Amino acid sequence: MGMLPFAILLVAAIVGYMINLQSARAIRAGGTRLHSLSGFHGMFSALLVIVPVLTFVLLWLGFETAVIERLMFASLPSGTLDGLGSGEVQLIGAEIRSIAGGRVFGTPEDWKLAAAERLLAYEAWSDWLLIAAVAALSVALMLFARSRVAPEYRARQQVEKITTGLMIFCATVAIFTTIGIVFALTYETFKFFQMVSITEFLFGTSWEPQIPIREDQIAAEGAFGAVPVFLGTIVIATIALTVAVPVGLLTAIYLNEFAPQAVRSVVKPILEILAGVPTVVYGFFAILVVAPAIRELGVTLGLDVASNTALAAGGVMGVMLIPFISSFADDALSAVPQSLRDGALALGATRGEMMMNVLFPAAIPGIVGGVLLAVSRAIGETMIVVMAAGLIARMTINPLDSVTAVTVQIVTLLIGDTSFDSPKTLAAFALGMMLFIATLVINVFALRIVRKYREIYD
Amino acid sequence: MYDNLKAESALETKDIKFSAKKVQVFYGDTQAIKDVDVDIEDKTVTAFIGPSGCGKSTFLRCLNRMNDTIDICRVEGDILLDGEDIYDKAVDAVQLRAKVGMVFQKPNPFPKSIYDNVAYGPRIHGLARTKADLDEIVEKSLRRAALWDEAKDRLDTPGTGLSGGQQQRLCIARAVATEPEVLLMDEPCSALDPIATAQVEELIDELRSQYSVVIVTHSMQQAARVSQKTAFFHLGNLVEFGETDKIFTNPEDERTESYITGRIG
Repeated sequence: MGMLPFAILLVAAIVGYMINLQSARAIRAGGTRLHSLSGFHGMFSALLVIVPVLTFVLLWLGFETAVIERLMFASLPSGTLDGLGSGEVQLIGAEIRSIAGGRVFGTPEDWKLAAAERLLAYEAWSDWLLIAAVAALSVALMLFARSRVAPEYRARQQVEKITTGLMIFCATVAIFTTIGIVFALTYETFKFFQMVSITEFLFGTSWEPQIPIREDQIAAEGAFGAVPVFLGTIVIATIALTVAVPVGLLTAIYLNEFAPQAVRSVVKPILEILAGVPTVVYGFFAILVVAPAIRELGVTLGLDVASNTALAAGGVMGVMLIPFISSFADDALSAVPQSLRDGALALGATRGEMMMNVLFPAAIPGIVGGVLLAVSRAIGETMIVVMAAGLIARMTINPLDSVTAVTVQIVTLLIGDTSFDSPKTLAAFALGMMLFIATLVINVFALRIVRKYREIYD
Repeated sequence: MYDNLKAESALETKDIKFSAKKVQVFYGDTQAIKDVDVDIEDKTVTAFIGPSGCGKSTFLRCLNRMNDTIDICRVEGDILLDGEDIYDKAVDAVQLRAKVGMVFQKPNPFPKSIYDNVAYGPRIHGLARTKADLDEIVEKSLRRAALWDEAKDRLDTPGTGLSGGQQQRLCIARAVATEPEVLLMDEPCSALDPIATAQVEELIDELRSQYSVVIVTHSMQQAARVSQKTAFFHLGNLVEFGETDKIFTNPEDERTESYITGRIG
């Protein structure tokens, strides 16, 4: 039943295609030249049916539930919902829905049973209405398309217009998704800032979000100063980039210019494998190998080393970013034209001089872009820091101390007992919003740098 | 062998700069150059002509070992520069290229300022001790490339912002700034319009007073205009080599005649 509208649509599209194709061929057989090939007349019909009807079906399905619920509430005996909060109304709606689905708990009141029955009836009506509408619309569009078949009709241009429209739609999907994410985040963040002042969040230096969400829980008072959390992320990201940028760039330079073919053919695939390792596996590596090694080394040197050091998390994250940076830099270096290499070599430059003075500056836009994307990844990276970094937010930049990160806090805030009217849970959205803004700023900055250098070098 | 060459060249009162003997070049299994013997004189413009794919550019790139950058390329035979085998293990290709400059088909200025483009060679070879020295080298090179008047007020603007003909003259200035003894030019005018071509040709004629110039060209008129010696390559062989006047008016080989009259090529 649920698939029937789609089946009708598909059949209508195919039938419309065939009809238009045949009638266009008939005109052609009659000796008249068509403006567009007969295939375009067929495609015109098919697209003219599919695009509007599919949009209609999807919109219908999207609004169906809400409309039926409205109708159902409206049909309740007057006065039933008087004086109830929105949460309770939602609860009643859910109960009626589950009764309609056959899951009856206890003995519901008669008006709820009646409402469930009406709900089922509305749903059946809606299904039939949709099928009828789809069938009518499809046939109408099909006939319209058929009526346009004529020797001088520009079916090809019409088909191209519709496909261009489809491509524009696909291109904007990502943009609209981003806007949707921003709205979802903004709404919850706004709710958070109604409970906690924005200045405390942005400039407070104490982060203790473990406040009670039920009466009987024992927990701290709660403090939402995000500075130590962001400081932790900055410390870890800085360590990661200190590892990844030099190693990644030197790897790229070596592979691009100095490595013999044999080495290159081995090292490049290995780096690509490294890029494909799930971050959770890096997390294991960090807690099982790197963190104990750092602690033991620290003990030998007589240093005070925490068990979850920022150094371990950041170092392993840096290793994770090496293939990212090296492949960006390698692409950027490979994109420098051979003529520039030849030009430098022909002046008697060594390969090192050519790399440092000519290739590297010319490849800077690509390299900077890659590094800044790596920064975005480093501050957004979650799994490694969840596993290897600490949970307590400390105001420290000591890499041997335990620090926490923004993503770690988001994860811990959303795990376990959550309630979406507690500042503890909503704080996760505020942190997410800040992270989103930070990566956005970095990416905009990256694009600007890339553009600025490109103006000079092209 | 060197002494013999010296003796011969003495008759023409010009020194032999490059002397190639039985040069063979292979790309993998394909032989691109077969048994090329040629002597290139100092203070002379030598033109290499021939149809596309005949090996003239490949041979030119042998003269400053630019073929080293191609992994599968292999050079056999002897190429002597001032009597010294440039493919000898003791010879540093980097130093050789400082002595044998090259200008390419497509202008390839570095993405740097005009000044830095010209100063690049002197800097990496340490030719200038002070900033004033370097300024002087840059000015002299740009003057020699007939670009000074156009570029003197915009030395710190990117070299890539110049027009095609100016870019090519910038590349020539860059090449002469390292004080090479030989200048190799691989179709230096093929990307230029007739006016820029005329300027570059005039320049080549002036450069002859100080350097040995070897130019690969597809334009027979250009070869006739700028060169004193011409070598005609065909299918990897050096078919004929001699005075330009003679090659163009009275060639000995049938293939040369066919090519210059436009019947093959």
